[in-house]
Amino acid sequence: MKAKIIKKTDIASFLDKLIEDYEAFAPVEMDGLISFEKVSSSSEALLDYPNSKMPPKQLLFPQSETLFSYSSTKDTGELEVPSGPEKPRLIFSIRPCDAMSFTLLDKVFGGDFKDPYYLNRRANTVLVSIGCTTPRASCFCNSVGGGPFSTEGSDLLLIDIGDEYVVQIVSDKGAKLLDKKGFEDTGKEKLDLAAGVIKTAEASMGPGVKTEGLKEKLDSIFDDPVWQQLTEKCLGCGICTYLCPTCHCFDIVDETIGSGGERVRLWDSCQFPLFTLQASGANPRPTGKERFRQRMMHKFSYLLDSCDQIGCVGCGRCITECPVNLDIRQVLNSIAQLESVK
Amino acid sequence: MPELTNKIREVARDLLQQKKVDLVIGFARGTTPMCSTPCFVRQDGEVNGLIWDSFCENNLAKYLVKRSDKIAIIAKGCDARAVVELIKENQISRDQVVIIGVPCQGMVDRGMVRSALEGNEIQEVEEKDDRLIIKGKNFEKVLNRNEFLHPSCKVCTHRNPVIYDILVGDTVKELDTEPYLDVAEFEALTPEEREEYFSKEFAKCIRCYACRNACPLCYCQECFVDCSKPQWIGKTTEASDTAIFHIMRAFHLAGRCVECGACERACPMGVDIRKLNRKLTKDVKERFDYEAGLNLEEVAPLSTFKPDDAEEFILHP
Amino acid sequence: MIVESKDWKPKIVAFLCNWCSYAGADLAGTSRIQYPPTVRVIRVPCSGRINPFFILASLQHGVDGVLISGCHPGECHYLTGNYSARRKFVLLKSLLEHTGLEEGRIQFSWVSASEGVKFAKVIAEVTEKVKALGPAKKLVKSKT
Repeated sequence: MKAKIIKKTDIASFLDKLIEDYEAFAPVEMDGLISFEKVSSSSEALLDYPNSKMPPKQLLFPQSETLFSYSSTKDTGELEVPSGPEKPRLIFSIRPCDAMSFTLLDKVFGGDFKDPYYLNRRANTVLVSIGCTTPRASCFCNSVGGGPFSTEGSDLLLIDIGDEYVVQIVSDKGAKLLDKKGFEDTGKEKLDLAAGVIKTAEASMGPGVKTEGLKEKLDSIFDDPVWQQLTEKCLGCGICTYLCPTCHCFDIVDETIGSGGERVRLWDSCQFPLFTLQASGANPRPTGKERFRQRMMHKFSYLLDSCDQIGCVGCGRCITECPVNLDIRQVLNSIAQLESVK
Repeated sequence: MPELTNKIREVARDLLQQKKVDLVIGFARGTTPMCSTPCFVRQDGEVNGLIWDSFCENNLAKYLVKRSDKIAIIAKGCDARAVVELIKENQISRDQVVIIGVPCQGMVDRGMVRSALEGNEIQEVEEKDDRLIIKGKNFEKVLNRNEFLHPSCKVCTHRNPVIYDILVGDTVKELDTEPYLDVAEFEALTPEEREEYFSKEFAKCIRCYACRNACPLCYCQECFVDCSKPQWIGKTTEASDTAIFHIMRAFHLAGRCVECGACERACPMGVDIRKLNRKLTKDVKERFDYEAGLNLEEVAPLSTFKPDDAEEFILHP
Repeated sequence: MIVESKDWKPKIVAFLCNWCSYAGADLAGTSRIQYPPTVRVIRVPCSGRINPFFILASLQHGVDGVLISGCHPGECHYLTGNYSARRKFVLLKSLLEHTGLEEGRIQFSWVSASEGVKFAKVIAEVTEKVKALGPAKKLVKSKT
């Protein structure tokens, strides 16, 4: 692999230099809550942190976003599309699972229907991720196609080898960040050290979930009574979807003020009854059972059909934040143990 | 608390074996440390999944609404109050539910415990009397559970279930705290300070509605935030919309809130939701001498009135 | 953006019950009693009909003050509508002020059908109070 070495004592000045050229976002702690915020100095950014409460997806796909605003008088009407950010953006110290989530969002927003809002922002953003030396008990990235040091979606990946970071160069965009900064190439010895760190981290992780054959199983149990059982304790709130780095369903509303207004896109959740409520009053997903099933099917079956990738990166936010401890790993594993229904 | 766990299992087994109930709703061990999870037991062979510990924080009364089966529910003080309210509001009939009361010593706030450990990940927690023995990679720490209770448990005035069919365990001593001291302190701030506080709290909200969905008394067929004819509030996280969501949700619980704190515990962003509810609880107590969920007879304060209710707020030019 | 100036006039919405306060306002008009032109009247069947959202929606969409007025206690056309409203509004007012809304932004009064003079006085006083507070800024919907 292509990699450079950055001493831990140099990382702050590296970030500060980047902040000059980029609009930089990094995890920041405020009132005990870690979130990705715009930083103006490296001292604000966290490099050693469990993970942010909210995933950084809102930097590319905000919770509510004005698509255009309009105003009208008796004779004229005007439409204004907000312009994107001018400065290129940097997301620094993002976890590999969250970086990987953007590979799915890229396919969703860049598929048959190109979404300029997301894509412009994405093209303008560079991701520097930081590998997880000590994955948490709720992490299961390694069982859903990622890993504590996965490079999927990242441009650079930092691997902590003690006093230094091995900086793995994943893309040209990432390589540019290191241009003319005078960092040394990594020798074999340090690459071996990094490989050791990765191995230890991976070995420390729990069994996670079994995704083999999961899609086929899910497709075969659509009408199984097990869904009732699995979702009995679900409260039907939106935590698991809003805190999920890959969930991307949205609603579009008009916020009207007087004769003008805005068309706004905002996050929606398949867990809400309103998500599928039709104008007639009919609701094809009337209870929590259908809604929870939709979430599982979308993530582990439908997205494989449409994007060839599952909608889960194993960050574990839905596990740690669920008010009733409805653990997705447990759900998937009990589905895996079911007999397939023909 | 292994004795309580055993007794709960025994009671549940008897009820199921004698076919007195179709379902027992209690708690089971969760998948992460310091996390118990709601559990639905239908067969007497499954009762050993039931447990009781310091992390049975959910208000199980949430699960009683819109059901036709006969249910036994494990109820702490606050859960029992919620059951009372639900019976009064005709969401479940008294004879449909067997209340297994469990006197409660307050539930432990795992977030608080975690922050006391400065980022060290907890792998296992054991309870012995009042001690929490916390184990992780390369460390062990003992904490006093009573110092880590949820904010709602710290000001709880009804730890013993106010209504029950079966009581498991001995009653506990009620807290000797001055009621509503927390509210009075906040009332003493200037309006600007209070506004600033709430603006900051509401700004954290992501409108996931976990507070609403965790609340045992938020059972409206259609919540006001979902109304489209008319649409009362916008759905974005615009400041006034979010503020009005929280204010009106609290207002809708005026005289009904049983102060279980389920809203605040469910909130992933740590919004201080109870600040609103506590104010109303205090007002309702002081003005109408009513506390929610204490008995089946008293009429809800907003369903009744007295001709001589105080009206100092009416303008008399 | 409303600029606070000497001749700034507040915009006040008044929810008046059909049977007493609205008739009182009518009487003030037919009796040619002068009162400040700051108020927009919305007639409702009863003070008990007023949904708290009427008040919040008014504030959100840019009024500077809200007045709610109904029949005197004991004189409700529907016998008890105003009694129920009184309980509801005292809690709502208290809660809103707890969150920092200025006292005086929302006000309540009883005005009977024969109290044209009182109606004028109520409007004058409400106007005075709201004027002293200046343009409403709290719970006002912002353009994103």
